[in-house]
Amino acid sequence: MRTVLAFMAGTLWLLSSSSAQKLPWQNSSSAANAANQQLVHFLYPQQVTFPAGKPQTIDLHFRIAGGLHINSHTPRQKGLIATNLAEVEPSGVKITAVDFPAGSEFAFPADPATKLSIYSGEFVLKMHIVAQAGNHLVQGVLRYQACDNSTCFPPRTVPVPIDVIAK
Amino acid sequence: MRRNVLVLTAMIAALALMIAAGVMNYRQRRREQQARNQAVQLRLVPANGDATAGTVDDTNQGDSIAANEAAYTSPLNGKQAPSFTLQDLSGKQVSLSSYKGRPLIVDFWATWCEPCKVEIPWFEKLHDQYAKDGLEILGVSTDDLDRGDPAKLFTQKRDISEFVTRMHMNYPILLSAESVEDQYHIDATPTTFFIDRNGRIVASTVGLASRDEIEADIRKAIGGANS
Repeated sequence: MRTVLAFMAGTLWLLSSSSAQKLPWQNSSSAANAANQQLVHFLYPQQVTFPAGKPQTIDLHFRIAGGLHINSHTPRQKGLIATNLAEVEPSGVKITAVDFPAGSEFAFPADPATKLSIYSGEFVLKMHIVAQAGNHLVQGVLRYQACDNSTCFPPRTVPVPIDVIAK
Repeated sequence: MRRNVLVLTAMIAALALMIAAGVMNYRQRRREQQARNQAVQLRLVPANGDATAGTVDDTNQGDSIAANEAAYTSPLNGKQAPSFTLQDLSGKQVSLSSYKGRPLIVDFWATWCEPCKVEIPWFEKLHDQYAKDGLEILGVSTDDLDRGDPAKLFTQKRDISEFVTRMHMNYPILLSAESVEDQYHIDATPTTFFIDRNGRIVASTVGLASRDEIEADIRKAIGGANS
């Protein structure tokens, strides 16, 4: 009898643990699903080391999923959502500016007359930074809005965490 | 001894039931995953290979992708349109149920959606063209709204209103809600549903459809209740 009870307890534990392990698309809402489907990825650097107190430029590399594009930092059409980077400066770090690349010209096949300014493939932002000696975590967030040739996705954000080591 | 046997039998039966339920649940989740994966795959790729699109590398485009996209069907097709009540731009509550008895298009769009801007003028013309058949259109804006911040909300509603005016949209515009987007599986815009007089979804499109396809779907909505 005790063996049977132990077997049943084990089986119940297995069942409960398998149902608790949520699959990627198992979210409470489509908005949550959409947020999980990242269309732009922060590639690198995850860590930088440079001299303390001296202005530096960090190249932030991003990749956009194949077949998609995002608006550049300066979209040409009113109402389009520009790509932007927001940063949280930890104590001892100053981000003086972020340079965005110029966009490529693009038009939707169904509307060739309307020219847009977009990024596709990989793109690089240049972050100008000064840091005091020590280890700092700069937490940035890239906001973007992506489309393919016929469909647009809601605006999303991708985290940009960078471990800054100033010596 | 007999009591032990009875308890053991009951426990084994309960265990068997739980395992069966678990297996059914797992199969259901797998089916949903497959449908979901297909939808995501369809939306992460361009729809066609127009070489005049600009300076962007279009090498990922292809006929097989277009064929896949054409094969996509909403899980709501053939079902009753989920009911909703949403606010229009003036704050008035508008219910889907009040359109029962009329063929209806429900178009989920956004001000930042360029393909939506291509479809909207078609909807305006088709709205006029099929007015004699009772066709109605509801445009549901999926623009983000900061409902907890009155100043931001005012600006956001004003931006939508300006867009509606600029685009000469001649049909009611409603402000979306997350619960409605969940019900209609809205992950991208434009997403359009064609509903017959009985409130049944007879067709739907995700992404920019051709004008001919939209018109064919309107005819299904007009004639759907009679078929």
